[in-house]
Formats: sequence, structure tokens, C-alpha cells
Amino acid sequence: MDAWVRFSAQSQARERLCRAAQYACSLLGHALQRHGASPELQKQIRQLEGHLSLGRKLLRLGNSADALESAKRAVHLSDVVLRFCVTVSHLNRALYFACDNVLWAGKSGLAPRVDQEKWAQRSFRYYLFSLIMNLSRDAYEIRLLMEQETSAYGRRMKVSGVPGGVETGGPGEPGTPGACLPQLALKFRLRVLLLARVLRGHPPLLLDVLRNACDLFIPLDKLGLWRCGPGIVGLCGLISSILSILTLICPWLRLKP
Amino acid sequence: MDAFVRFTNQSQGRDRLFRATQHACMLLRYLLESKAGTEAAIVKLKSLESSVSTGRKWFRLGNVVHAIQATEQSIQVTDLVPRLCLTLANLNRVVYYICDTVLWVKSVGLTSGVNREKWQLRATRHYYYFLLLSLVRDLYEILLQMEQVLQDRAKREKSPQGSPGYNVVSEDTDYLQSFLLLFFRSLRRHPPLLLDTVKNLCDILIPLNQLGIYKSNLGVVGLGGLVSSVAGLITIVYPQLKLKTH
Repeated sequence: MDAWVRFSAQSQARERLCRAAQYACSLLGHALQRHGASPELQKQIRQLEGHLSLGRKLLRLGNSADALESAKRAVHLSDVVLRFCVTVSHLNRALYFACDNVLWAGKSGLAPRVDQEKWAQRSFRYYLFSLIMNLSRDAYEIRLLMEQETSAYGRRMKVSGVPGGVETGGPGEPGTPGACLPQLALKFRLRVLLLARVLRGHPPLLLDVLRNACDLFIPLDKLGLWRCGPGIVGLCGLISSILSILTLICPWLRLKP
Repeated sequence: MDAFVRFTNQSQGRDRLFRATQHACMLLRYLLESKAGTEAAIVKLKSLESSVSTGRKWFRLGNVVHAIQATEQSIQVTDLVPRLCLTLANLNRVVYYICDTVLWVKSVGLTSGVNREKWQLRATRHYYYFLLLSLVRDLYEILLQMEQVLQDRAKREKSPQGSPGYNVVSEDTDYLQSFLLLFFRSLRRHPPLLLDTVKNLCDILIPLNQLGIYKSNLGVVGLGGLVSSVAGLITIVYPQLKLKTH
């Protein structure tokens, strides 16, 4: 009980819970439609999803300030690539929240002349840019960690006296195209194994990659760039909301810049 | 901006801000009602008020658990009168949140068999009992403080260096004046108690109006709600001003 009190005291936690519920409703609605459920039930689910969406917009009022603060802090990061990616991502997030606030003002009747469609498209565009920056940052971190792993492995091999290494050894002479293909396949397999090893050893990074990858489907679908359907959008939204709730419950799982 | 971010990260902080906004809209609507040419502004204020009020329900979902935890804590208070008042008050709060959750289920359309007026009345009644019991507790604490002030004054008068001072209860005609002076002096000594009393007094105007016990107008309800929300905001920004139980 104490855990719920502490969890729900954070406004971000409540917003994430509502997000998970919203995408669960979206997924449920799609499943019910596929299996021919009663229109009354479908209408109820759609209505609940609408209420959750509007409620979340109110819960997010003021998040622009949070994103700007994070951008201000990110400007002081030492690594140049990280500094660029994280700052630009937070700035895009701040703009996304600002557009979201305008949408709320329109929906709540404060500014009835707001073009909902135009501002919704704008907000999803900023959201997409922010996610692309996040994924670039994740890719950069993964690359750094993979380089660290290979150099550490190389050092271990040198110490133990094993000749050659992963990169140089291999069958076939250079110049014979037939023998290059299995070599490439082996190299690719080793890279994938190294990637899996790096991600398994860094759960916060793995969680962040999964979350951003799942989130990416939402703006791609809404902007019409890659229509995946409401089922996939609902499922991905639900998974990413659950993962972000996990990072709120277990703060050590959050990726620190 | 950092302070604003830290403040809004707490659900309660955001909720108090929205509550203040909601009641400010109510007050503004009352003030603009009689003026000409303000119909559009009044419509906008009404829609802002209703959307903020609807949105605040999301902050109240799950607060039943908070109220149950508060009841458990109030059972362990040492003093008898606060223990009784706080436990009963928190029990009423639990019932209020249960009624509020039922009303939320009805408002999002998940069920159609709920009689909205009946549950709204139940919720308001239990909220009213909660505030009444909180005020009884505040009154008890004020009386304790007044007793403390009198004891301190008696101690000062007994000491040889101290000046004779003036007697609090000197004449019958001065009694009410002296009592009120003592009352306000005790409150001034104890800012958390003052804040809590003001908050509960302003809050109780809302259910008094809704239950028809003391019908006031939109302006009074709006002002009362705004003042109590600001008092609540102050206790969140300055946690040392929150009334503690011993």
C-alpha cells in the first residue's frame, strides 16, 4: 500500500498508468472489432479511450517546463554526440508538449478555433524527431560499448598469448569472392552476438532501446509514413508504457546520460 | 523554473494548482456575471472549469489507498481527542473516495446503472463529515494552544523580575475581547494550525452549499475554494507548515 502511495505521488507515474490504460483500450478495441463484439461494448471502449486521452492531456500540462529543464541540464554533458542528441531530443519534446497543450486548449473549449488536425500533425512530427534523436543516442552508446568490449577482448587475448584475433583470422585468401561470403556471414554473426552481449550487460540501455523502438510506431502510423494499423500501435504503446512504468518503479533501470 | 518542475512532479502539487484554477474560474464567472459584453468570456471560463474539474478526477483515482493509510496512521496518535477525530475523519474520506470512484466509472461510460445524484449526495455528505471532524480537531488544538499561552503568561507573572502585566480575564465586559485576543494570539503562534483551520473553514463552504445547509452563491464558493487551494499549495511548497500529528 505504501508503495502505491509513493508511486502515485509522482504525477508522471499517473500519466504513464493512464497511457498504458489508453493503449490497452486501443488494443482491446481493435481485438473486439476483429472478433465481432457488440457495437455497444466497442463504443464503451472507444469512449473510455477518449476520456483517457483527454485526461492525459490535462495531466501533461506544464511538461514543457520539465523538458526545457532537462535540455538545460543536457547542455553540460561532456561527450559532444551525447550532448547534441539529448539536448535536441528534449527540445523537440518541449515543442511536442507545447503543441499538446494547444490541442488541449482546443478540445476543452478555451480556444475553439484551433485546427485540431494541423496541430496534431505538428505534435507528432516533433515527437518523431525526439524519438529519432533518442534512438541515435542509443545507437551511439551501443557502438561505444561494443568498441569497449572488442578492445577488452583483444587485450585479454594478448595477455593469454593467443595469436591473431577475431578480426584478422578466417579461412580463404583475400581476393577470392567465393570465400568472402562465409567470412562476412561469420563477421555478421559475431557482431550480432556482441550486440546481444552488450545489451544484456546494460539493462537500462536495452530498456531504452526497446521503449524508443516501440514508441516509434505511433508517430509513424499517425503521420501516415508507415501505416501499421491500430492493433500494432496499441500493442507497441502498451509495451512502451509498461517499460517506462518499470523505470519509474526501479530508478536504477533509467538510462542516465 | 527548477522549483516549478519539482513542485509539479508531485501529483498533489499539480492537483492543487488545477483546483485553484477551477475555483478562480468560478469566482471570475461570478464577478463577470452582471457585466455586459462578457458572455463569450463566461462561456470560456465555464468550459475551462468543467474540463479542469473532469481532468482532476484522474488525480483522485486510487486515493482510497492514501486515505486508508492515513486512517491507519491516525489510529496511532497518542492524544485521545485528535485520535478519535482524525480516525473518523479519515474513514469518512475513504467512503468519499469510494463514492468518487463510482462517479468516475459512471462518467467515463463504463457502467450505466449508477444513480449519479444519489452517489454525488453520498460523496458530498461524507466529505462534509470529514471536514467537520477536521475542524473539531483544529478547535481542540486551538484550545490546547490557548491553555499553553495562559500557562506561559501565568509563569511570567509569577516570576519576580516579570512585570505584573494585565490580567486576561479582568472584567465581564472585556471577556469576549480578551477571549478573541487569546484565540488569535494562539493561532499566530502556530502557523500550521492557522493554515489548516483556514483551509478547512473555506473548504466546508462547498459541501454546506451543495447540501443546502447554508446556501451561498457562486462567488463565495469560488473564493472559499481558491483560498483553501492556495493554503494547500503553501503546505506543499513549505512542508514544515503542514499540521503534524503527535
